[in-house]
Amino acid sequence: MRIKPVCLAGGMVLALAASLSAAGAEEITIVLPEQPANLEPCRSIRADIGRVINMNITETLTIIEPETAQVTPHLAESWEQVDDKTWRFKLREGVSFQDGAPFNAEAVVKSINRLMNPKLTCDSRSKFGDVTLTPKAVDEGTVEIVSDIPIPIMPTLMGTVQIVSPNMPFDQEVNKPVGTGPYELEAADNEHIVLVRRDDYWGEAPEVTKATYRWRSESAIRAAMVESGETDLTPAIAVQDATNPETDFAYLNSETTRMRIDAQIAPLDDIRVREALNLAIDWDGMGEALFGTDVLRASQMVVPGVLGHNPDIKPWPYDPERAKALIEEARADGVPVDTEITIIGRNGFFPNASESLEAMQALWQEIGLNVTIREMEAADWVRYLDKPFPEGRGPTLFQQQHDNNTGDAGFTVPVMYTSEGQYSTIADKDLDQVITKAMSSTGEEREKLFQEAFRVVHDEIIADVPMYHMIGYVRVGPRLDWTPDLKTNSEIRLAEIKFKQ
Amino acid sequence: MFGYVFKRSLQSLVAVAGLLVLVFFLSRLTGDPAYLYLPLDSTEAQRQAFNELHGFDDPLYIQFGRYLADLLHFDFGTALSRNRPAMEVALEAFPETLKLAAIAMTLSLVLAIVVGALAATKPGGIFDRLATTISLAGASAPDFWVAIVAILFFSVSLGLLPTSGTGTPLHWIMPIGVLMLRPFGLLTQVVRGSMMGVLTSPYIKTAQAKGVRRTKIVFVHALRNALLPVITVAGDLAASLINGAVVVETIFGWPGIGKLMIDAIVRRDFALVQATVLITAIAIFFLNIVIDLVYAALDPRIRHQTA
Repeated sequence: MRIKPVCLAGGMVLALAASLSAAGAEEITIVLPEQPANLEPCRSIRADIGRVINMNITETLTIIEPETAQVTPHLAESWEQVDDKTWRFKLREGVSFQDGAPFNAEAVVKSINRLMNPKLTCDSRSKFGDVTLTPKAVDEGTVEIVSDIPIPIMPTLMGTVQIVSPNMPFDQEVNKPVGTGPYELEAADNEHIVLVRRDDYWGEAPEVTKATYRWRSESAIRAAMVESGETDLTPAIAVQDATNPETDFAYLNSETTRMRIDAQIAPLDDIRVREALNLAIDWDGMGEALFGTDVLRASQMVVPGVLGHNPDIKPWPYDPERAKALIEEARADGVPVDTEITIIGRNGFFPNASESLEAMQALWQEIGLNVTIREMEAADWVRYLDKPFPEGRGPTLFQQQHDNNTGDAGFTVPVMYTSEGQYSTIADKDLDQVITKAMSSTGEEREKLFQEAFRVVHDEIIADVPMYHMIGYVRVGPRLDWTPDLKTNSEIRLAEIKFKQ
Repeated sequence: MFGYVFKRSLQSLVAVAGLLVLVFFLSRLTGDPAYLYLPLDSTEAQRQAFNELHGFDDPLYIQFGRYLADLLHFDFGTALSRNRPAMEVALEAFPETLKLAAIAMTLSLVLAIVVGALAATKPGGIFDRLATTISLAGASAPDFWVAIVAILFFSVSLGLLPTSGTGTPLHWIMPIGVLMLRPFGLLTQVVRGSMMGVLTSPYIKTAQAKGVRRTKIVFVHALRNALLPVITVAGDLAASLINGAVVVETIFGWPGIGKLMIDAIVRRDFALVQATVLITAIAIFFLNIVIDLVYAALDPRIRHQTA
């Protein structure tokens, strides 16, 4: 009788050892920073959802290559622009959905209509603004998409539309996505989500046969879980937890931070003051201290690789003497440089966001400006993000983090810098024209025009204080052969994960 | 006794109803849910359509009327962020919290009573000093820090316990251990203090004079009187555990109601906030009745007063 508890304890240790040792040879576990709120494919531009389902369960007609912004074929084999409001996509043959339904033009039409269905709250719809799309099946393998205004980057936008099985409920959001991808959903509950490889995938069979997702919000815990071998991979760990160069990789996470300048309100309406704001910051020191050595200094609000990024713009240097001189010059000309300027921050925005505000406040005060900080909850902060801005707010510097992972500056420039732009604090007729022209052109001309817009914004108007292209860190267990890229924040393609020999 | 419970139940029912009204209006004061549900770059038309679709554009009193009407059908609304009925989500999470709270509370109570009572028998002695130091440290240690250090030590360095999650019995050890720290620390202090008072009272001296065994005096004669303040404090602590052990749930990935509630608030998922508050309120209401019954069982004065 006495032996029993010992046996039990021994058994428990064995069971634990089994559960601790990483899963079977081709099975992996991934621990995410948060539980996906739901698994609805039409909401999958949200990172929590997209990381699990994008390109694993559901796929898209096109793919945007993260490093080059090239749009490449996926479920569509080719496409052409019929007229300025009509695009025609030729679909891949021999593809089927996980539920057996054939992938064809009807399915694509239904997926697009489902995304646009006003009865569903589809996050991914925001990429299209208020555009109305009318998709039409020309034949089994051809889809024509007509929009009410010209959309020159339709193939890019189709990279965000997840194609779902026609059997999925049309008028109801669901948590059981069915797509054409190499994995299907096996289980989803409060503690984990399991994807298993399907046998009849149209493309090359991936190495990973089964992926189990768990979630822990604490970065230190997730890092520990990979270290102890409990799990194979975790994205988005904090810089202070990325301590092991063997397993921890830095990657540009496609987020760019800035301080938007209220350029219509004195003293910020004076260009010398705006230039001084940029010159006053010790960019290298602050970046290294708060965001890690891998952080990239930004000169514009899109990362290198996005179509329209202008590599010729030089970021402002750290030159406090010149900044002071500019402020004094402005003061001498009667600019009210002593007016209190308010920094608007957002609680828990990104790691060390508050610290960066405090650092900038101190440096701006050193050049003779009068700066205070107000940090707000997200919902309050949004009031300052969007037009109409709050009345009587005084001059503000607004902290913003912007993610452009769609590969085209068209998702950044109009909203930030046109007179009508939702986030815009500037109004410049000439710039408006350049941007409008860029939005309706394609290819090289589009790139040139957006580059010109970024140059004007940075060199001539000084609309903001660009901060950094932000860095994320992943920890990857020793079994896996995988490196993160620009898209890691929004999707983790299981098919790209290989095992080390 | 029955009349007493009935009266208390009525009072609690009024309190729960008041709470529901309060939560309904307070949560809507936090602002427009469309800003948090839809991506930042959504257009005004998209936000409006969202609010119309879910009835958030109606005047508050109409929304409230609809909420009450649905409540009568036991329809607690849809947790928009989860695409699922709010009550279903809340009821899935609540038992996890309850199990954790029940085990942690029982263990803390038993341990605190033994340690506190023993410490009180010889105030200033070695055991008393040790017990006081440990219980004070437990009551004041920041649990998130203890939890992370425990994971780094037991899971990463020693590889003895799983870092987090549920599944095997071993998964329970660290969450319960961390959760017990505060209740154990506080209760030990309360037991010790209360016991010291009781041990000097005349009836104990009488018992000693009659030659009753020491353990019997402490754990039978004295404990019963010393327990009343302990029950009060334990009731408070239990209520806060039932509300969700947010820190422990977050760090150990325990799928309980505390984390769920915080997520719901952050995402402005009104229906889910209401459902989680309702569940915990009802649980606390039952807890209070149990505490009252325990009081009555322990203290004849309460029993006779209400009879």
